[in-house]
Amino acid sequence: MRIQAILALAVLATTLVDLPAQGRGRRGPRPGDPNAEAATPPVAAPAAPAETKPKHYLAIVGGDVYLGTGQRLTGASVLIADDKIEAVGHNLTLPEGTTVIDAKGKVVSPGFVAVIGAGMGAGRSAPFADAVNPFDPEIKQGLAAGITSFLAGSTGGGSAPSGSNAVIKLAYGDVKAMVVQEDSVVGMSVPLPLADREKFADTVKKAREYLAAIEEFPKKKAADANAKEPPMPGGADKVVAILRGKARLWVSLGGGGFNPFGGGRRGGGGARANDIEGIRQALELSKLLGQGIVLQKPTSAWLVPDEIAATGSMVVLSPRDRMPADPTDPDNTGSNLASAAILAAAGVPIAVTCPVGMFGGAGVGTGGILGQDLNTPQIDAAFAVRGGLDNRKALRTITLDSAKMIGAEARIGSLEVGKDADVLILDGDPLHYSTFVETAVVNGKVVYEKGKETLYSHIDRHTDRQNAR
Amino acid sequence: MSLQHTTLRALLAMAASIACAVAQDPATITDRRPVAFTNARILTMSGNTIERGTLVVKNGKIDALGADVTAPAGARIVDGTGMTIMPGLVSAWSRAGLAGQAEPRNEAGGGRRGNRGQQAPMPMGGGGGGAQNRAATKVIENIYPKQEVFGDLLRTGITSLALTPQGSAFPGLGALLRPDGKTLEQLTARDDAFVMVTMAREQQTKKLFTETFEKAKKLVEERKKPPEAPKPAEAPAGDQKAGEAKPGEQKPGEAKTEPPKGEQPPKPEDKPKPDEKKDGQGGQGQGAPGAQAPAKKPEAPKDPNLEVLADLLEGKRKAILQIDSAADLLHWEAVAGEVKFPRTLVVSRHDTMSGTMDVVLDQLKAMKCAVLMQPDLSSLPRSRFLTHPAKRLHDAGIEVGFLLGDNPNTTRVLFFRLMELVRSGLPADVALRGVTLVPAKALGIEARTGSLEVGKDADLLVFRGDPLTPTGELQSVWLAGREVPQQP
Repeated sequence: MRIQAILALAVLATTLVDLPAQGRGRRGPRPGDPNAEAATPPVAAPAAPAETKPKHYLAIVGGDVYLGTGQRLTGASVLIADDKIEAVGHNLTLPEGTTVIDAKGKVVSPGFVAVIGAGMGAGRSAPFADAVNPFDPEIKQGLAAGITSFLAGSTGGGSAPSGSNAVIKLAYGDVKAMVVQEDSVVGMSVPLPLADREKFADTVKKAREYLAAIEEFPKKKAADANAKEPPMPGGADKVVAILRGKARLWVSLGGGGFNPFGGGRRGGGGARANDIEGIRQALELSKLLGQGIVLQKPTSAWLVPDEIAATGSMVVLSPRDRMPADPTDPDNTGSNLASAAILAAAGVPIAVTCPVGMFGGAGVGTGGILGQDLNTPQIDAAFAVRGGLDNRKALRTITLDSAKMIGAEARIGSLEVGKDADVLILDGDPLHYSTFVETAVVNGKVVYEKGKETLYSHIDRHTDRQNAR
Repeated sequence: MSLQHTTLRALLAMAASIACAVAQDPATITDRRPVAFTNARILTMSGNTIERGTLVVKNGKIDALGADVTAPAGARIVDGTGMTIMPGLVSAWSRAGLAGQAEPRNEAGGGRRGNRGQQAPMPMGGGGGGAQNRAATKVIENIYPKQEVFGDLLRTGITSLALTPQGSAFPGLGALLRPDGKTLEQLTARDDAFVMVTMAREQQTKKLFTETFEKAKKLVEERKKPPEAPKPAEAPAGDQKAGEAKPGEQKPGEAKTEPPKGEQPPKPEDKPKPDEKKDGQGGQGQGAPGAQAPAKKPEAPKDPNLEVLADLLEGKRKAILQIDSAADLLHWEAVAGEVKFPRTLVVSRHDTMSGTMDVVLDQLKAMKCAVLMQPDLSSLPRSRFLTHPAKRLHDAGIEVGFLLGDNPNTTRVLFFRLMELVRSGLPADVALRGVTLVPAKALGIEARTGSLEVGKDADLLVFRGDPLTPTGELQSVWLAGREVPQQP
């Protein structure tokens, strides 16, 4: 509890400090702007003693910067103050004493976000903050794959929202920074029997009443000092969290939750050749809640993209998942490599993950089956490009949109001012199969350098120039 | 026949009385001739090495040593030409003679190359399951004294042996043994040599640390209050009963876990009680459960476990703090980083999967204590690149010592393991201090043993040749001035 409180305070403090910086926009302070320097130090000075410490600046200069939002700035720089992004743009004025990393000819990208993962320093169950291992060698392996954050734990399942998970950041060597937030995802499964659907509707109703009563409470309290705070209706806490925007609802379409620790195909959500019925049920839940949900690996989503888009829902999928259509059954439509492209064209945010491993992939360990782990997230995204997804949007499927799925987009997923400084320097196009992470920065600290680690330091990227020889 | 019989009986009686005298009269031991080792190379550990000198042992102590010391008249002379004399080994952390081994891998070199990507099982007692404060439990109470292992360890060179309680958080008080003892009394040099504190990266243990240290700090504050109405200290057993009689008092659950048997060393400032508390005392005498007036609390029953920890925080006790990985160290920092007490850090294995200690040098330095670790090289995680944690710690200015293991087989190869460390860059004197003086400091016995100085116990190892060469051979072990027989 205390750690969380400290963390929350720290986040608050850093947010406060960064407020003036936001006014500058992405391009940073205009040269010669007298306000730019004056605005930096004071404002929230008395809030915490930590602020008196001079900021540590790090700049990644001259690279092709992919923002994660779909935009790209050529020959631009990223300026980092302590653990946050201070400015992104061309011709930034670097404060005195800034550590400069030259990224000329390199690609700069937000750290990748894996929506489902395991290992990499995270414990297997809550409380995650008490068990994180900031020196797990898998952290380096994850960073080498470009991953800087992932969702660990269980996304839940069953007839009512459940789950226990945490967004873990690969902050090597930093215990306190590893858990970004806990329980920002709750999950349930469809199809549901009618009784369960009615029960869910009832829970949503109770949750709304509770939230309304809570909103009224200060007034009541003012009128009557003895007024008691309305109690949380039994079993509605997860739904309340969803309605409050504290948690995203993930709906699994295959029955059973997504178990990253060896669920196999049986439990792997969406492993049905036709799940339109399930998708529509899930969208009903979304309408009940009045907000978008996350569909977990819907095989047939490509047939109903507009219905999904209309509810503001999002989709997690693996473009490489194959589910053949049954030629004798017209309803059995199977999967489609173009799923991601079709959904994206309809305006549905997509996050890409690896196929479900028979031995519980979703980690960077070398014990799994090739291609069913998180060692190459950019290749999973590239498969979506192969299915027709816009190359520029494809990076979003492993950065900003992934962050949205796990409810962490306020802090991670893109290179925008005020966000966490989780930055990769790559030696080529982010989605190219021969691209390596050269440097990974997490929370403003360099935590991985290809040349200094035993993992890939012996491999030189094969370049086109070598082909020309 | 009869005469013969009588003579025999008389002779037997005489022999018996002599035997008795030898066994009982301490003078027969102390009056033995002094022993002088001459022309020997003497590794003092605390001072310079004496390349060719004399060491005189008298009354079990080191009487004199130096290059120009002459053997006293009537002394038994041991020609030490070609010999090296060093202090006896000090094992500050072992489970010898107890169930369960302290070392997860006790074979030499077994854990040397890291664990090659295999997730090692949690170290024993590191699981954190059922973490509780049992700080006053004495590990010595679990020992069966007539075991050969103590004598065997002594013959391999361990002249001071600590026993470590096992378990998470606060498993109890460690013991210091005299390994030549045959009975529990002879074996026990100290039954409360140190407080064991074991860290685990786990919620229950972390929570227990936070809460218990907080309580112990409060107790220390209470002890500092001036005595207003001193009362005769109650017997701990009485306290215990009172504790059980009154639920709702300070930590009754923990008080119950430990039936104390006079663990408490008498403390001069034993619980000064303010007058107001005296009022409630009548209620306590009857053990009346009704004494619950919140303003006038009766004397809280003493929790022996908490008392031990308060002693620790006051600096009256020493702790051996076991933290097995860099990750655990950071978690320790988060929950108990500010808690200060005399300590020595024990790292029971090189845990490459959670970081060996050389990746957190700065944090380690901030702990301001010596570190005892396995005398082995480690590796980078999941690779064959060897690393030298001991050397890196030493280079960073941290005092490094070593764990000697639980059984004689481990100790027999100890010097070979040290040789590998030295060959890979650790200074030889650091390696040897790491098995003598540093662990002696950890146990608080450095004034008596661990180095060769005048006035210290004559706990000696006599080597033919140098201990850190493959041909060096342990010739004899001396415990408090007496040569340990090679056969039991």
